[in-house]
Amino acid sequence: MTDVIQFLWPPFLVAICLVGIHTYFGILVLARKVIFVDLALAQIAALGATVAFMLGHSAQSMATYGYSLTFTLLAAVLLAFTRAWGTRVPQEALIGVIYVVAAATAILLIDRAPQGAEHLKQILTGNILTSGLNDVVVIVPLYAAVGLLHWLLRRHMTGAGSLAWEFVFYATFGIVVTSSVAIAGVLLVFSFLIIPAAIGVMFAESLSRQLTIGWIAGTFVSASGLAGSFVFDLPTGAAMVCAFGAALALAGVLYPFLRGDRRWAIRSTIATVRWIGAVILAASAVQFAAAPRADQPLIDLAEWAIPSIRTLYFTRAEATTYADASEHAERYRREAEQLNETERRNRTQGEALDDFTVARISSFLKSYGEMRKGEQFVVGEVRARARERVRWSASFGLLALSLLIAPVRWRWLLRK
Amino acid sequence: MALRLAFTIALCVLASPGIAQDRGQVVTTTTDLRSLTEAVGGDRVAAVSLVPPNMDAEDYQPKPQDMLRLKQARLLVRVGLDYDLWVDRLLVQAGRAEISRGGPAYVDASLAIAVLELRGMSVGPGDGHAHGSGNPHYWLDPKNAETITANIVEALARVDPANASIYEANRQAFLARLNAKLAEWEAKLSALTSMPIVAYHNSWPYFARRFRLDVVGFIETKPGVPPSPSHLAAIVRDMRVRGARIVVREPHEPERDVAFVASKTGAQVVTLAASVGALPRADDYISLFDVNVEALTSAAAKR
Repeated sequence: MTDVIQFLWPPFLVAICLVGIHTYFGILVLARKVIFVDLALAQIAALGATVAFMLGHSAQSMATYGYSLTFTLLAAVLLAFTRAWGTRVPQEALIGVIYVVAAATAILLIDRAPQGAEHLKQILTGNILTSGLNDVVVIVPLYAAVGLLHWLLRRHMTGAGSLAWEFVFYATFGIVVTSSVAIAGVLLVFSFLIIPAAIGVMFAESLSRQLTIGWIAGTFVSASGLAGSFVFDLPTGAAMVCAFGAALALAGVLYPFLRGDRRWAIRSTIATVRWIGAVILAASAVQFAAAPRADQPLIDLAEWAIPSIRTLYFTRAEATTYADASEHAERYRREAEQLNETERRNRTQGEALDDFTVARISSFLKSYGEMRKGEQFVVGEVRARARERVRWSASFGLLALSLLIAPVRWRWLLRK
Repeated sequence: MALRLAFTIALCVLASPGIAQDRGQVVTTTTDLRSLTEAVGGDRVAAVSLVPPNMDAEDYQPKPQDMLRLKQARLLVRVGLDYDLWVDRLLVQAGRAEISRGGPAYVDASLAIAVLELRGMSVGPGDGHAHGSGNPHYWLDPKNAETITANIVEALARVDPANASIYEANRQAFLARLNAKLAEWEAKLSALTSMPIVAYHNSWPYFARRFRLDVVGFIETKPGVPPSPSHLAAIVRDMRVRGARIVVREPHEPERDVAFVASKTGAQVVTLAASVGALPRADDYISLFDVNVEALTSAAAKR
């Protein structure tokens, strides 16, 4: 347990800092309808870093940071102008163009400076897990300064100001994004920016209440994403993005209950769930009738959850063959694994295996692989034949079940 | 900048067909195979590698020039074992039967290699058989160069029978030189026998087996997927328990994750080249091992 806390508290601290500043910027970005501006700015910053690599600067040097920042500020000038141009062409289109051109240029440059490839990949996925106090001491003063500046200029940050104020907005946002993307990656920073802000905007009107709701939601979701990534052994950034997505979905489902006609909300939720269930069952029925040998996701899921469901359509002989083949496949896998383990151990322990023995192990492993594949073929074939036999009755049953679930008033229809 | 541009242009000119015509143009997927082809081909072949040095060959994106190279190739040498799958699509586009799978000028260098860590199935377009793919980094065992060069010489003899004996003589001379070096490397690396090592990616089983190194874990368990917190915690715990003081990384792998693990355990990071050209001084197959052996022994000496 102490291990867990020791590993997760530095990234959690970083996440809180990121949620703090990004929720605020997210509310502004949502109001201006420039949702993807952070992607464009992050990509421009990455382009700056790539140019720095090409000129021979190392990843962590001040020069690289300087190039990133200069490119970002140039992009901020460009973005400040896009609103003026955006009367006929939507501003988002221009932002998208900036993003793809920056990304493509970086790829072209990397072709000449391969050591930049790792950096570009890092920008995309990031790794908040390996961030720590050394990141916190950099971003806290930076974000505090940006926050203070925005509080002093709060009357000019609404998006209705002059070109100069627009530049200040995009420049400060660019500075924040340049540092946060380097830590957490584009995907996670986009979630930090949009999702807590969206939840806040959903449930409150004033900026202060939107911020409070966003911060609470962001902190809570970050904590659960981090914890989930530890418990279920998942890559941290991706797990947190999915946690944020789930939080937004949950907020969307709760919204009509909290802010609308509760009775209507309950009724429409039940109807939606029934429709979804009916459509899944009907589609499975059609799939089963049309191609009983193909993948049947619903039936496969049912077999996985309740293996005894197979007795419904397996004959006794089939059930025995199925069990035998599964068991053999598993045994071959285990034996191959044992051989692999023996070989691995012998690399350092005891007498070294000679090349001939290793070649023999290798060819045994190949045979085990083929034998396992054969058994798996038997498993699939037995199941496919059994399913083919019950093709019409099973699909008819699924269809009947689907009609039963669908929220259609049958009695009323029949009377008509 | 200008210098680099000039260098690139010079390379393009050198690789152009006009000059290479009288010598057999051999296309290899990686720089390691290029170096081995040069060793057996001598001045009778001009070998060119599709993947530039210091790029990850496992997710290389082919360029239009690569198609041109394949169209003019007399021989294609690939790593196989699902390592360079992208070349299959290029071969289909090039549409030349002799350098395609099964053709006389097609060399899968992994043929007859004793493959380690075979599990699961190949995802590549096979010939109807289900070969487990196994770990593809087999050129990192210098002993495997015997098999690889034999595969290359066999194909060279098919496309250029007149010079077959010269290729075989080149190969024997190269293997003699390699075997002398092998004894030297084994002696040097014996200093690391009881020193557990952690690597970023599982590129080193063949290297570890030959030199009896104890690679106890990997930071990245699946290519391209960042490690989960529980996996990192387990690695750090293992390293503390077993006293692993060396973390191995290749130049194209992320610095941050490796530095994080090293800082948690007080281990030192050693950058190794898994391919020819990945580090400045590793410019052919033999110096590749020289550089790696040197890096590992000096790291071990620092303890």
